[in-house]
Amino acid sequence: MSRVPKQSEKAIQLYKDDTAYMQMLYDALALDESEEAEINRAVIQAVMDRSNAVLQCIERDEPFIASWYPYSAEFLTAMDVTWWMFAQTAFLGIETPHVLEDIDGGERLLGSDFCTVLRLLLYYVEADVSPKPSALVALLHPCDGTTIVHQAIKHGKWADVPIFGADPPYWEDERAIEYYATEMRRLVDFVSEITGKKLDIDRLREVCEQSNKIYALWQEYNDLRRAVPCPHDWTIGPPQAFAMTTYYHVGKPEGEEWFKKLVANAEKRVNAGVSGVTGGERIRVLWFDILPLLWQWDIQPWMESEWGINIVMNMFGYTPFTPIDTKNEKTMFHDMAKRSLNDFPMVRQARGVADNFLSDIERIVKDYKIDCVIWPGHMGHKDGAASIGMMREKCREIGVPFLHIGLDLFDKRYTTPDEVKDQLNRFFSSHRLG
Amino acid sequence: MGAWKGENELETKVKSKALQEFQVATETIVNPELKKWIDQGGKVMGYFCSYGPEEVITAAGVLPMRVRATGSTSTELADAYLSSINCSFCRHALNAGLSGDYNFLEGVVWLNNCDHVRRIYDNWWRKIDTPLAHMMSLPKTSTDLQVDWFHDELVNFKEALEKHLGIEITNEKLREAIKVHNETRRLLRQLYELRKRDNPPITGAEALAVVVASTAMPREQFNQMLKELLDELGDADGITDYRVRLMLVGSILDDPNYVKVIEDMGGLVVTDSLCFGTRIFWADVDEQGDDPLQALAKYYIQDKQACPRMFDRQPSRSKFIQDMVKEFKVDGVIGLRVVYCDLYTGELFMLDKDLKTAKIPLIRLDREYAVVGAGQLRTRAQAFVESIGGRR
Repeated sequence: MSRVPKQSEKAIQLYKDDTAYMQMLYDALALDESEEAEINRAVIQAVMDRSNAVLQCIERDEPFIASWYPYSAEFLTAMDVTWWMFAQTAFLGIETPHVLEDIDGGERLLGSDFCTVLRLLLYYVEADVSPKPSALVALLHPCDGTTIVHQAIKHGKWADVPIFGADPPYWEDERAIEYYATEMRRLVDFVSEITGKKLDIDRLREVCEQSNKIYALWQEYNDLRRAVPCPHDWTIGPPQAFAMTTYYHVGKPEGEEWFKKLVANAEKRVNAGVSGVTGGERIRVLWFDILPLLWQWDIQPWMESEWGINIVMNMFGYTPFTPIDTKNEKTMFHDMAKRSLNDFPMVRQARGVADNFLSDIERIVKDYKIDCVIWPGHMGHKDGAASIGMMREKCREIGVPFLHIGLDLFDKRYTTPDEVKDQLNRFFSSHRLG
Repeated sequence: MGAWKGENELETKVKSKALQEFQVATETIVNPELKKWIDQGGKVMGYFCSYGPEEVITAAGVLPMRVRATGSTSTELADAYLSSINCSFCRHALNAGLSGDYNFLEGVVWLNNCDHVRRIYDNWWRKIDTPLAHMMSLPKTSTDLQVDWFHDELVNFKEALEKHLGIEITNEKLREAIKVHNETRRLLRQLYELRKRDNPPITGAEALAVVVASTAMPREQFNQMLKELLDELGDADGITDYRVRLMLVGSILDDPNYVKVIEDMGGLVVTDSLCFGTRIFWADVDEQGDDPLQALAKYYIQDKQACPRMFDRQPSRSKFIQDMVKEFKVDGVIGLRVVYCDLYTGELFMLDKDLKTAKIPLIRLDREYAVVGAGQLRTRAQAFVESIGGRR
């Protein structure tokens, strides 16, 4: 019996179209012969490789799954399972020609105050424009939206797709980690049953050791971003590092190679005192969330040129990751669980009590010599919205200005780029920044 | 059912002192019975969700009280800490805390039931000087592993209470508390049984007042008063002048006036799936097991009607609603969503599909926690009642 569900033709076509769109971007970047462009091209190549791997699975009738970055994916690499990040379309940060229509499609299903990324997920499923996986690994944190949207997906067009969601505890202590390690073992059993592939512990050890090297390089890179001026701007570094580490090259030598190039490039620029911001860096910003991925070109270049802003760090670039102890199976599952609960961005801050929101802001502001903190206030992040008072007070305590905007990181029609610019202008002016 | 003569006020034919006291209990935070308890030196502990382990609080000799924001007209204090995309219940409840309305509480216990309420905990303990603020980790799935996890959370909560109050909560006390709370559940189910009649002796607004009162009064006293009410209602004449029978589905609704607006349009509310409703009393806690905390854990994780946050329970939630529609001869379902509640956005999306398949009319209404926009509610309720009425 086939392990791959029947696919809709339009889903495959859309997936191919998006991959072709990525190829177009890759080709455009190829005109730029700089090292930085080469580093970014490698990320786009990784995206296309993953998409092609999914398409290949469909062609060959081999199982593949949809999953999420906050499940330490080392076990998937070790099992040689093809997977794709379920929210990839939104997270790619590329405004594909159809994305605004897709967002409207999602609104017709779930209204306008439900997280746009999650609305998109349901829309793609209900509209039959997503590849249908052999199984879906649901994410039950960090927000209510993820918990309920996976139920809605299972309830509708993907009723026949097996689904598993590990139960996330609210705590991050040893008891919680042990509990989640058990959940992750159940997840491995689920994936194994679906794919017919077993987890070899020696192979897992190799992958985890490789993964540790990659995370160490990420930390090294981040240390270089502490330099004044920061060697890279928003176009290179944190988002790509996040994607390569947690998704595209989890525990793979290709990830290590990519990071080595990134670190070498950043080191060269730090040594030469070259700023990532053309025209010079005047304000160092912590953008404490995802970047406005689907409309970043509307806002970030303006921030750089108008105010000399460098988003030195964002939530997804911050890596308090702890290495996985590869001593034995138990330590590896323990540390994959720990990483899944306590390290991955957004989950780390939003899943449990609000303390990590505040301690991360304090740590990053000090380590990265941040001039101001911007909480964009994505309309889907309800728990973060209920943390703005605490964040503001923390920033006041450590003496750094704080701005809460209130926008949709994936839809520029919610708060328009001009409105955002207006808020930023008033904020930077009133605090005499830049 | 008799002929409906246009907009009119539905109410029970029974003049009941108990019912009046229940209704009074919903109109303020510190109702007269609660005030008596406090004046006599009794301690009160707040909880925020239908998963709040009120039996453990009762076993500690403390009165469990579900936190509401009754009477709140403003959120200006809370707005300094929350955002406009946080739900209005959360904003009003934090505002009530910041205003000092809950200064009488000995403690508050939260669960991570939703993104809005779980952050009230973070703000509350930082800003409000309640002696004990305790958070519990509530699972999102419901296998035996989750029952065991929640058992340990209950142990932690019990120990926190024991330490704070300097007492011991024995298994015997827990068993007694479970019995008292099961008695409440049994009596409330009896009340709902009466609502299955063609001419129920009590309105939906009145029944909601009874359920809300159950979470805000000394429990044994409440049970006694509810028995009196049940006796009074038993042989009472039923309500005849309604047009259709409705079921409410949603999260927090603690204001009988909201239901009254709907009922005044001729739609008698006969049952619900609400967290001030069947969700807190349709199943009992096992009284026979060796470990009362294990029994409580099993009840909260596997046996009670689940909230949409429980990932693996949607089929059972939907079935429960459809079963209730049959049992209570419901003509139409009103799905209520407090604005910005993601859980009910998704839940009603799924329920809409299920009820369409079952050919059960559903209307989705967005609402704010405080009754506002009564005119709009009246219009929509009237249109829904008429659309169903026309099909009968």
